[in-house]
Parts: sequence; C-alpha cells; structure tokens
Amino acid sequence: MTEKKSRPPKRAESASSPSFEELRQQRTAFVSSFFKKGAEITDELVKENERLRGAARKLEQENAALRTQLKSDDAIREALKKIEELEREKDSLLSQFSQAEAVTTRFTARYSEIEEELANLANVYVASYQLHSTLRLPAVVQHLRELLAQLVGARAHAVYVADEKRKQLVPVSCDGVEMDRLPRVQLADAAEPPKGGAAILERVFLTGVPHIEEGALADSGFDAPAACLPMRIEDRAVGVIAIFEVLPQKDRFMAVDFELFKMLAAHAATALAGAMLYSHADGKLPGLEVFRDLEAPRSV
Amino acid sequence: MSAEYSCLVVEDSPMMRQLLVFALSRVKHLRVTEADDGVDGLRKLAAGKFDIILTDINMPIMDGLKLVKRVRSDPTHKDTPIIVITTEGSQEDRQRAMQLGANAYITKPIQAPQVIAKVKELLKIEH
Repeated sequence: MTEKKSRPPKRAESASSPSFEELRQQRTAFVSSFFKKGAEITDELVKENERLRGAARKLEQENAALRTQLKSDDAIREALKKIEELEREKDSLLSQFSQAEAVTTRFTARYSEIEEELANLANVYVASYQLHSTLRLPAVVQHLRELLAQLVGARAHAVYVADEKRKQLVPVSCDGVEMDRLPRVQLADAAEPPKGGAAILERVFLTGVPHIEEGALADSGFDAPAACLPMRIEDRAVGVIAIFEVLPQKDRFMAVDFELFKMLAAHAATALAGAMLYSHADGKLPGLEVFRDLEAPRSV
Repeated sequence: MSAEYSCLVVEDSPMMRQLLVFALSRVKHLRVTEADDGVDGLRKLAAGKFDIILTDINMPIMDGLKLVKRVRSDPTHKDTPIIVITTEGSQEDRQRAMQLGANAYITKPIQAPQVIAKVKELLKIEH
C-alpha cells in the first residue's frame, strides 16, 4: 500500500516562507556580511603580508648581520694569523738583535783589550826608544830612573851593576832610598851567602831569572823587593834592577809592567853597557876598521 | 781631515812627552804641539790658539803652577781647559794648581785611556 506524504497547507506554506522583501533583506545582509567578511579577510591578509614583510626584513637584517659577523670572523682569523706571523718575525728579529748585541759586546770588549794592548806597546816602545836614544851615561841612567818611576810607578828603586873584579853588585843609581843605605851584594863565592833582599838580588843576577811579585805589593820593601830584574847582554850578566817599593795607588803589577820588565831585562843592559863604553872612550867612536872583520854580506 | 782641536803638551821629560803625544794621537782631529818647559809653553801659547793644555808640575825654568797662573791671566787663554800632571805624593801641588785655575789633574804613572778620557771630557768630544 502506498502511503501519500501529506503536504502542509498552502496557507501555512505562505506563512512560513520569507517574503521577497525579507529575501532581499537577507540577500543584502548576506552580501553586506560577505563583503564585510571579505574586507576583514583582506585587512587580515594585508596585515599578515606586512607582518611577513617585517619578518622578511628582519631575517634579511639578521642575514646581513650574520654575513658581517662571518666576514668579521674571517678578518679576525686573518688578523690572528698575521699576529702569529708577526710574533714569529719579532722573535726572529729579537734573536738576531741578541746575536748582534753579543757580537757588539764581544767587539767592544776586544776593542778595549786592543786599546789597552796598544797603550802597553806604546809604553814599551817609548821606554825602549828613550833608553836607546842616547849614549851619554847620565842620560841613560836618567831615562832608566824615569822609566821606573813614571811608567812602572816605582817609588824606591836601584840599579846595580856588577863589579867583576870584586865579584859584587854595586848600586850606581837609586830613587826613593839613600844610596848609603844600599849594601853591596857579594856574589856566589862569598864566604857567607847574602840574606834577605840581597839574596834575591844575587839569585836573579846569577840565574838570570827575574823575581816579580805577582800578588799584593803592600808588604814589599828592601828585604822583599817587589821586583828584581836581571840586566844581561846575551848570556853575560851585567847587573840587576831592583824595585823595592811602588807608589801607594799601585797594589799589584799589571800586564804593562810585565811587558816593561821583559823589555828592561833585554834592553837596559845594552843601553847601560853601551853608554859605559862610550863614556869610557870619552865619547869617541872607533874608526871604520872595526867593520873589517865583519862577515861579507850574503847574496839574496 | 784637518784637525778640529789643538792641544799643547808641556813636559820636560822626553819620555813622558812622547807617551802623552802617543796617547793624544788616539783622539781624532786633535793636533798636538810639544813644549819642553813652562817658558817654552808660554812661547807656543803666544804663537797660537790652543783648545786644551796639558802640563807637568815639576819642570825646570818655569814649573807647571806658574804656567797655569800665567795662562789664566792671559785673555786669549784664560778659559782654555788645563790638565795638570802630578805625582800621587804631591797633593799640595795638585790643590794649588786647581786653585790657580786648572780644570783637572792626572796622576803618574799615566795611563793612556785615562788621558784620552779626560781630554775628551774637557773638549766635550763624545766618541
């Protein structure tokens, strides 16, 4: 059986269905609402767009900052690398400087040494030059005295010459001590060997070995001479030079003194003996016949 | 190069004079004139101008003290530096020389470096 669906009455239909006006109002409201919603969405979209643009700008800024930082880090790394290189260079230069400074110090020290050696040599040269610059006995003796006083700094000294006949050493010149106080020194075959300072003088004369006090000179005196030097011509002993005391400011002999002593040992005897012979001959030189027996010069 | 400075050495001992001349030869641009004693020194001073004078004290004819006095009374050399050379024992001479106007002293036995240093100091030579 078919059951027919009942329809509401027409009146009811017309009563419930909206009227045209209502529909128009509904349509207007809908359109208005639609556009309003569209405007709102547009606004939101615009705002969202702005927000996104802002975010994009911010990101771009951050990106730029990061790029800058990256560049800056690179620059720092470069700078650090450069600093390391410069530090190495500085160390190398400092090392070179130290080496150069050490060399300079060595050269300065050597220069001072050479200057001192030069001054010492000058002293020896001048002393030798003066000793041999004359044959007059008083002048030679005077030079010898000056040399001992002015160059060596001897305050009390004497020159002894050997008297071969009497076998004794006789003082012929002195300074700082009276001649009368200086004894004659008996040589080897004397009955009684000499004592004190005289023993030193005798030993130096006989052996040809100088006596030079190498330590402090404060205690030196007549019994303990500060220095005693042989005067020899080749192997022949001529006399001795005795330095009994030195100037107070001279506490010990220095390198130059030892050089002077060597020179004196070698040259004083020849200068003195030459002057003695010259004096003995009244200043006359022998004739040329003295050259006659000389060996003929060898051809080169 | 010609000498910039001139020095007069007054010393009667030839040996000491030679030593002083040698020491002074180590000072660059220094011309040295020698005199045997005070009178000879005055003669040399009268003949030329000197930048510095070195004189011994004990000399014949005219000693170093008289020379210092004469030099200081001479308008040409009244300001010239003078170095006197003395022995350690002659302290009175040294004092007297300084009172008379000497600028410095050197004691015997002389050391070349000491002479050079003193001359350079008074001539204001640095090297």
